[in-house]
Amino acid sequence: MPGMTSDSGEFNSLSIVPHSVETQTPRVYPLRTRRVAAPFPRLSITWARGNTLRVSLLQPGSEQNPGGEVVEVKLSNADGAEIADAQWRRIAYGSVHPYALLQSRKNSVDAYHGDKDWWEHVMEYSKEINSLLGDSKSSVTPTIEDPKTVLNIVEEPTSLKAAWELMELFYADKQSWTWIPERLLDWLADFDCLFSATQSTVHARLVVFQKELVTIQTVENVPDYWEVISSALAVGWLDVVVKLLRLHGSYQLDQLGSRELENGLVEAVAVLISQMPRLRPDLPEENLGECYNTKPEFMKAWEKWRAQITKLDCSSYWLQCDHQQTRVGLKNMLQIMLGNANTLSNVTYHWIELYISHFLYIRPFTTGLESMFTLAQKCMHLKPISNHHKLMGLLVGILEENTEVILAECSRSFGPWMITHAIELLTAGSTQAEILLHDEQSKLGGICIEELHRLIYAQILSSHALTWNIAPIYLTSCSKQGLGLLENLLYKQPVHHHQVLLKSIEICRLNGLDYVGHDIMKIAGVHYWKHGKKGSAVFWLQQAQDEVRLNRIAKHLFDFVGKSVSDESFKQWEGMIELLGTESKTAGGLEFLKKYRDFRRSLQQVQEGTTIDEARKAAEALVSLMRNPSTPQQFWLHIIHDSLKLLNWKECPLLNVSQTNLLLNKLQELSFARLLPGFVDADFPPEALKCVRLALATNLGRSILDE
Amino acid sequence: MDKSILILDKGTRCTAWNYSGQRLVAGLDDGTVVIYDSTDPASSTFISTSRFKARESSITKVFWVPPEYGDAVACISDDGKLSLWEEVTEDTEEHHWKMRKCFDGITSQVLDVQFGDGQTCLKLVAACSDGQVKIYELLDTLELEKWQLQAEFQNVIDLVSKFGNATCVSATISWNPQRSEGRQSSFVLGYSSNTPALNSPKVWEFDLDHQRWLPVAELSLPDDQVDEVYAVSWAPNIGRPYELIAVATQQGISIWHLGSNPEPDGRLSTQNVAMLSSHDSEVWEMEWDMSGMTLATTGSDCVVRLWQSNLNGVWHEQAVLAPAG
Repeated sequence: MPGMTSDSGEFNSLSIVPHSVETQTPRVYPLRTRRVAAPFPRLSITWARGNTLRVSLLQPGSEQNPGGEVVEVKLSNADGAEIADAQWRRIAYGSVHPYALLQSRKNSVDAYHGDKDWWEHVMEYSKEINSLLGDSKSSVTPTIEDPKTVLNIVEEPTSLKAAWELMELFYADKQSWTWIPERLLDWLADFDCLFSATQSTVHARLVVFQKELVTIQTVENVPDYWEVISSALAVGWLDVVVKLLRLHGSYQLDQLGSRELENGLVEAVAVLISQMPRLRPDLPEENLGECYNTKPEFMKAWEKWRAQITKLDCSSYWLQCDHQQTRVGLKNMLQIMLGNANTLSNVTYHWIELYISHFLYIRPFTTGLESMFTLAQKCMHLKPISNHHKLMGLLVGILEENTEVILAECSRSFGPWMITHAIELLTAGSTQAEILLHDEQSKLGGICIEELHRLIYAQILSSHALTWNIAPIYLTSCSKQGLGLLENLLYKQPVHHHQVLLKSIEICRLNGLDYVGHDIMKIAGVHYWKHGKKGSAVFWLQQAQDEVRLNRIAKHLFDFVGKSVSDESFKQWEGMIELLGTESKTAGGLEFLKKYRDFRRSLQQVQEGTTIDEARKAAEALVSLMRNPSTPQQFWLHIIHDSLKLLNWKECPLLNVSQTNLLLNKLQELSFARLLPGFVDADFPPEALKCVRLALATNLGRSILDE
Repeated sequence: MDKSILILDKGTRCTAWNYSGQRLVAGLDDGTVVIYDSTDPASSTFISTSRFKARESSITKVFWVPPEYGDAVACISDDGKLSLWEEVTEDTEEHHWKMRKCFDGITSQVLDVQFGDGQTCLKLVAACSDGQVKIYELLDTLELEKWQLQAEFQNVIDLVSKFGNATCVSATISWNPQRSEGRQSSFVLGYSSNTPALNSPKVWEFDLDHQRWLPVAELSLPDDQVDEVYAVSWAPNIGRPYELIAVATQQGISIWHLGSNPEPDGRLSTQNVAMLSSHDSEVWEMEWDMSGMTLATTGSDCVVRLWQSNLNGVWHEQAVLAPAG
């Protein structure tokens, strides 16, 4: 096809995140079908929730084949596809709390005037997020128990964690600024294994050597031993180095006597290594080196240490050392410690390893991103790599202080989760980034880049039934378009599922989206109404305050009730009116039904037991019902007819003159209304009407006499 | 990640998903309509739950009625007839589909319909083969039987001119998806016909004061020879100061900005922000995602294309999804 790149992409890399820099040709992604095959005469598309696209592939009719297939495509994962779904959801849920807390702190004035600096809040946030990304146990920690195990193989960390820690150390952790080279060293110790997949690294060499170690008798005769030691020393894994040194044959009891001098040299180097001055506040317990907090102290110690190395280097003992490999190996190590650039370059593999070795042995005082970047460029030049790891792109972006590159790398390589959460670190640590991220862009419809990324992440969360309900947290932190997207998200929820309905209403309530809540309840109400669940329907329509539909339903009920007023089906809709509860004021018609129910009840009691009090009560209910303007005309005759027993009460008239007149007037009104268009005929037999008239006339006569 | 979620019945001609993506309606070439449902909101397993014979001839287009009015679908058949079916449960019966309305009053063939303005009163725009646009209004919010013809006009800016002998092969309609009650209802409509004046997409808005529909914008360049319009799609607006409409013609896909506030002559300002070449020939469908940032299109080259604007506001093709094999 013209205008397309030939390589077919995996969906995991399909990104629908806008960037400023674009590749010219779009990538092609295959839509895999199970039962149908191309060509398709017709494709049909629909966006489902979030960024899920559903494609209907229709195929021409034939006896054997189905008519087509629907394929669901999730466009771009949240995490750049490194992490399994369940694990990723754990991260997504886990990051909600720290994110929300940070946002609320940002919004409260106290955060800026409290006893903590803002970056300390950000650091707290970063630590919490980082803990979600996996255990941070370093993989180069030697284990003491087994002398042959120099490297503790732990579960491989994710690049996502590595990227997060990079962002943290450069942007959030203000305290680390004075000792950033040492922080980078720790970082590499944790994550060097990630680079092993595509190229040789110190870590990879160590892993291979450890496997060989079990079978090796005298390690000092093996060239690999010295190579591995030097490499580990170059990148500052001092514990590993010292442990390896102590495997040297001269330490063995049976040889100690004959190789005393040789052993002395090995031990001297080991001691020097373990005393290496480090410009950092502290070291983990198991790590070697001596920490110095301030530059002058460090400088003093460093010079002293270097002098000791030089002294050892020039010592005459070397001439007396018979074991050639040991002599050469140890001397090489001294060269590393003395900062011999060639040696460092020889014993390291990846440019970042060379970079770290430069910090350790040549330029321990490097500070400032500019000089760090210059050094990185030099190292990259010395150790060019064909296969760039995604972390390198990010690191280079950070070092060259190019916010756009950092953003692009974050979102492209590590996914929308990363960019959404890492922006908090970026804006806390760099003014330039803050300006870029918070600047409203007319080309983006008036939102800033920070908001854009939040919207995209929220959209991804919305794609899944298990994560959509955390999307609102991110959307409410978008000042311009968050609520708009939230509305659209809520309107797409399947509200006839009760749990989803309740959750949606809750979200509306929390975010002041009452009108959306009402619409949702309206949809639910109509669904129930149409599917025979009339009680739920009325309940939800009342919650939605949908007067129009409730009045329609009331009318529907009148029609129904009107037909069955004299028979026993009263019970059927009695329960329904019960459901309307006491708050049925939303629709006048429904209010009538409730009164009508009360009237029917008292009438029934009159029929069962016959005390005058009950009869009077029923008569009062009758009058109040007939006085009520919301009582529909079509009921009037039925109500009076049902009350014949009251009108013909033997002991005394239950209605006084004015009350009887009211009923007579209603009859009169009814006969006029009969002439008007739109009159609902109550379908009343003429004999019954005569009975009513007679009863009323009799009652009037009796009450006049009474009064 | 791509995943097959549903196998369609033999003879399926058209499909449509409901508002929540939990139900699919498919129209078959023997006039049958099939409904597929998912078992629960978290699952993406769909099974066919109902089927009924809507027409004698093939169903060419199906649409869901907005959910505020129940579970109902409109079908257009090969002969251009429009009918409306609803799922109901009566008394103790299982739910079933009932025909609510057959729009027999429309004598010409119905080419496209769209439901809109669900907030206040459901409206139905039907574009007919004689170039007439008919707007129906639902009279009773709970009964889908009762419709009233509210307006009838031709898709022309100049309301005086009439084109008597127009023959239209297809039409495309898209409502403004905005739901807020304060806004006037509006939609965009384009034709594919032998009469260029009818073809170009026009934005129609209901003028509440005069109770009539007015064309407020035309989405074509002044010197443009107006082609047949294949598809129009109005993007959801979650807070942009302007509206976004995509129009697909023979020349490609054009993206338009539509101003929100009318100019003194009552028209809305329009700006063509992108002209994208695509799909070799005909564009079948276009749809915006829920944020209005990504446009998906499909056409006679049988692939799905995704379009997006980059951070500099430049529209471009982001990805292509092509059936494997």
